Amino acid sequence: MIAVKLIPHLLSWFGIVLILLRGFPKRRSVVIATSIAGFVIGVVGAFLLLRVLTGSVGFVIITSVLGMCFLFLWGVSVAAIYSRAGRGVTTGWGVRLVSTPLCAGSVTAISGIVAGAVCSCTLPAMDSTLMNLAMLGSISGALAYVLAYAALAVEKRISHSFTVSPSGMISAVVALQLFSSSSIIRLDLFSPLSMKVMKFAHDFVHQFMESMLIPDHVFVWSYLWRYIGLLFGKEIGFWGGMFIWFTPVLLVMCAVQYERLPSVAHIRQGAERRKLLAAAIRQRRLRLVVPFIALLIFTAAAYQSCYPNVEYWDPKPIVVTATSSGEIIIPMKSDIDLEDGKLHKFLFKQGGKEARFFVLLGPAAKLTVDLDACAICKPDGYGQADGTVICYYCKTLIPLETVGKPGGCNPVPITFTEKKDGVHIDALTLINEWTNTVQSTTKGKEGGK
Amino acid sequence: MSDNIIETSGLTRSYGDICALKPLDLHVPEGEWLSVMGHSGSGKSTLMNLVGGLDRPSAGSLRVGGADLLALSEDGLARFRRESVGIIFQQHHMVPYLTAVENVMMAQYFHSVPDEAEARTALERVGLGHRLKNRPGELSGGEQQRVCIARAIINSPKLLLGDEPTGNLDHKSTVMVMELLKELRAEERFTIIMVTHNQEVAAWGDRTIYLDDGVLVREERMSS
Repeated sequence: MIAVKLIPHLLSWFGIVLILLRGFPKRRSVVIATSIAGFVIGVVGAFLLLRVLTGSVGFVIITSVLGMCFLFLWGVSVAAIYSRAGRGVTTGWGVRLVSTPLCAGSVTAISGIVAGAVCSCTLPAMDSTLMNLAMLGSISGALAYVLAYAALAVEKRISHSFTVSPSGMISAVVALQLFSSSSIIRLDLFSPLSMKVMKFAHDFVHQFMESMLIPDHVFVWSYLWRYIGLLFGKEIGFWGGMFIWFTPVLLVMCAVQYERLPSVAHIRQGAERRKLLAAAIRQRRLRLVVPFIALLIFTAAAYQSCYPNVEYWDPKPIVVTATSSGEIIIPMKSDIDLEDGKLHKFLFKQGGKEARFFVLLGPAAKLTVDLDACAICKPDGYGQADGTVICYYCKTLIPLETVGKPGGCNPVPITFTEKKDGVHIDALTLINEWTNTVQSTTKGKEGGK
Repeated sequence: MSDNIIETSGLTRSYGDICALKPLDLHVPEGEWLSVMGHSGSGKSTLMNLVGGLDRPSAGSLRVGGADLLALSEDGLARFRRESVGIIFQQHHMVPYLTAVENVMMAQYFHSVPDEAEARTALERVGLGHRLKNRPGELSGGEQQRVCIARAIINSPKLLLGDEPTGNLDHKSTVMVMELLKELRAEERFTIIMVTHNQEVAAWGDRTIYLDDGVLVREERMSS
């Protein structure tokens, strides 16, 4: 099972080595050596990191590194398009830098470390004993060795006219890293990116309206609010995220497409001149292939993020009633076990009103009762997977350690008392909390799922 | 290194039982204008097709411009035709719905990339500067053949092959085309091999070979 889970990650790493070998054609031995070393360091390092650091800190560190790789791609793409479009821009130093062994070694090592770290996140729970570490190091080293030399063999079979520009190489490497990480929900970047965009638009509109006092403005007609309302939807986050996600690789494609052709004015014979131009145009077209593949991989990563191949634990809510004293009592152990660490959903109905909530035993053996809704999003509810709960509306992952704390996209906590016969919740408080929360997030129009 | 652009040894081409070209040893020095004469079915066009890379020999060896045509792959042969050979046929084989300049640019397109300015210059060199935008149907036979010459030389071939290029032309147009080829050869220094039935046309060359039933029967050097 683990081997099956590892296959896409290992294939991504194989692709990364293949592209780096073609990107640094004169530094093959450096690329092979540093990629193997980087991969092993990444696997062992992330294994230690995830076991030494508590909570989700390890995942946050790896996600931050992936985010920096994506930002680096943004920088490279902007530099690439600027060097094509800007007049008098000299990129000679950049070309010289790319051809140094230091650059080849560092880019390859970092790529290997990131790929190794992502692979490590799929490994099952093991103690970080010296024995386990040594075993992990040797297995990952052997795998890396085999894959790196397989990539070298494949690379040697690819035609020499198939070249890769430095920006194309970076875009493909980052695309493969993000594709690999997007299958692990705690390392995924696209959904958090969409969420950030959505929240930014939401906050910006709020701030703007407040600062301009627009609701009272004589020139803002009421129908305009329909359009302003679009900025509060989930779609703004998705399309904004798509824009940020795809722009760098599209910029790289534009930069390659508009690469300057060689100067042929000094060649007297027209046919020779045209032959040189045709060869340069053909080379340029071939250099577009890798960024185009990167574009497809970015699409696959975004798809994987939007439709994750992860089954969330999302039980059907159990209908509960209140006692004559207005309390909802849920026994600790009945048909369900409240202390099994799984999220248990309940539905309470009273006088035409209803409230959805869940009970969950957190990692620190602390019980928490929360609404199946947060104070920001539409109440689409939460699912549980891989040490987190996820808000179905905005795809925010909330580590189990923080469930029960108010704020942000966390589920709204409900006060309760834990007694011998079970969990006691005040029915009126629950209904009021649900009504207030849902009214503020949907303006009373939608009730969520 | 040999100065011959064409070297054949025992060059043979058979179609089933019919031997269109019997073992032929031929050497053509670089820059020479060779005329090939003979009756219909004597093997003239077969020789042209072999030298131009349009057909493969059944036996023997064939080197053109240093390249062993028998050793070339299909792609290599296509590249050889594209870059090293220009061909002028009796029928002009132009695209009827393209203008003169576009017909020339089409040859550039298949060679590398089109360059309209260069195509215009080529047509001006053959005296058709005023006919650039005319389609083949709007040109006389002589003008059409001059477009073909511009198209054949646009990619600076080492070898220009003419398969009865003046066969459809009147005397005046024939002389005009021949003079043009002479001028261009002097400027570009390419080698010409021209198949003809016309003794007067053959006389424009440096040397004439006579084929009969696939065999080289006679060779004649023209006095300058």
